[in-house]
Amino acid sequence: MFSLLIAGLLGAAAGGVGAPSSPANAALPPFTVGYEPSTVDERGIWMEADERERRLGDSKLTVRDEALNRYLKDVLCRTVGQERCRGVRIYVFDVPAFNANMAPNGTMVVWSGTLLRVQNEAELAAILAHEFAHFELRHSLKGYKQQRRASDFAAWVAVLGVLVNTNTSGLQESLLGSTFQFSREQEEAADRLGFQYLAAANYPTVAASQLWRHIMAESDATAIGHGRKPKQRYNAGFFDTHPTDLRRAEYLAEESKKIGDSGRDARIESLRTAVASHLPGWLDAQIKLNDFGGTEYLLQQLASQGGWTGELLFRRGELYRLRGNPRDIVSSVQFYREALAAGYAQPALRRNLGMSLLRSGQKTDAQAELREYLRLAPEANDTKAIQALLTQ
Amino acid sequence: MNKIAVVVAALSMAACGPAFAGNSLVSPGVQKGIAKSGLSAVADGEWNRLARRDGKFIELWTRDGDSLNKVTFFGGVPEGQSLFRELDKKNRPLPKVISNMLITDIPTLLESSYRIQFSVNQFTVNEQEPVVFSGYNGIKFSFTFTSEADEVERRGEAVGAFIKNKLYLVTYEAPAIYFFDKDLSGFHILASSLKL
Repeated sequence: MFSLLIAGLLGAAAGGVGAPSSPANAALPPFTVGYEPSTVDERGIWMEADERERRLGDSKLTVRDEALNRYLKDVLCRTVGQERCRGVRIYVFDVPAFNANMAPNGTMVVWSGTLLRVQNEAELAAILAHEFAHFELRHSLKGYKQQRRASDFAAWVAVLGVLVNTNTSGLQESLLGSTFQFSREQEEAADRLGFQYLAAANYPTVAASQLWRHIMAESDATAIGHGRKPKQRYNAGFFDTHPTDLRRAEYLAEESKKIGDSGRDARIESLRTAVASHLPGWLDAQIKLNDFGGTEYLLQQLASQGGWTGELLFRRGELYRLRGNPRDIVSSVQFYREALAAGYAQPALRRNLGMSLLRSGQKTDAQAELREYLRLAPEANDTKAIQALLTQ
Repeated sequence: MNKIAVVVAALSMAACGPAFAGNSLVSPGVQKGIAKSGLSAVADGEWNRLARRDGKFIELWTRDGDSLNKVTFFGGVPEGQSLFRELDKKNRPLPKVISNMLITDIPTLLESSYRIQFSVNQFTVNEQEPVVFSGYNGIKFSFTFTSEADEVERRGEAVGAFIKNKLYLVTYEAPAIYFFDKDLSGFHILASSLKL
């Protein structure tokens, strides 16, 4: 009898897990201006999202740049349409990693590391459209309900299992797995809807798969830089909430081939202009993460678009100097000198070139560079320390 | 039965103990053998030495709790070692001490370690000037940072030097509002009395 009850419960759970639940207020999309959440669950998650958004507004890590925010909003509106984008608020958050998310109340957060990594506006649009699709499809609400359903059932299965003296750990595990499976299905659904927006907005849809290829290549470069084997998987693991990057790249590439729109303009220049003033700071933060392989890959990618500018060469010198093997110090000297030749005029170049020369035993050249730094930046906050280097 | 009760009581005491077990009082005056090294310093008043060590070469002192004021002694980090115990050696390894580093590389080493270890996304090194650290050429610098965890702006000061191929570094940090100024003079007494 109890076994039958467990079986019945499981049947109900399996039916619920992964099955699309009918959204409350389905007639009205959540991006409608003045939309009010209707059910208890929806009101709850909106309330939490509102609180998180208030904190974002106060946070020191929120990048306050009106022009950059307007650009992101323009890209979103161009991609999903004016009607949909109107109520969305976009925040750039200063975290040097690749991520973006969208809350059920229409708050979109893009990490600065994402803007450092996208190579053109089309890739950025692919990310914004993907996040918007989560919002439009009410994934947070559905995910929340699914999680609660699965954990409720797992608790009941455990209790009933004890009553009838039956080991239910396997069943509980499959319920747990169903939650992660559900999350992966949502990701894929958001990928596919986002892809449709990208296509409709006249961006080259191949950008969506190229984005994942860059992320995989960077991750491989990071692994090699840390002395590990690069490893991209096709199948997601049990606990993965997202499909693997490789799988995403492949199904998105397949869709793109069907459209055959790779000739469309990916709008590289507009992205470069929008992020130009932030790029040095974002690169500096990336360089200090001790991720030689990944950072070198990012610099190479940036250089492949606009060539090795003085700005990029200086950062490459920094990357090598900070890793600090004797051969790296020699390379850094070369990159600093190339940056100088390319017209990079920030005084820090002279200081850091001087420090690299000093570490490689070229004292006379080092002193000349350090003196030049002191001449160019007499008011800098480290002049006393640099003067000390000259006398040591 | 009584024996069992005693054992259970002892076990339960041990279970609730670790929150403070091992923390000890630092009395005013000269403190020797800091961070299991030859480092000594003069404490201006009472401090608390934490049982927790964030790395092999570290000793932590605080007055009101380490998120409110913290002095970190790095007692001789040798070449090839990181400042802190690495939390994720495979994916987020920390930068290591390198033998030919200059004193002006010390602030960057600390900054990079903080960015990785404590998810500090904003870190600025401010004033840097030379200092004599136990008879050796060293550096004194100040910094400001905000970590992702609590978003509190903290200020810090540090003195460091390479002595016999090892890095000796002592840092003080506290929230910029109120706490930093409260114990800064105490840190200055510590820092100026450092001896090896």
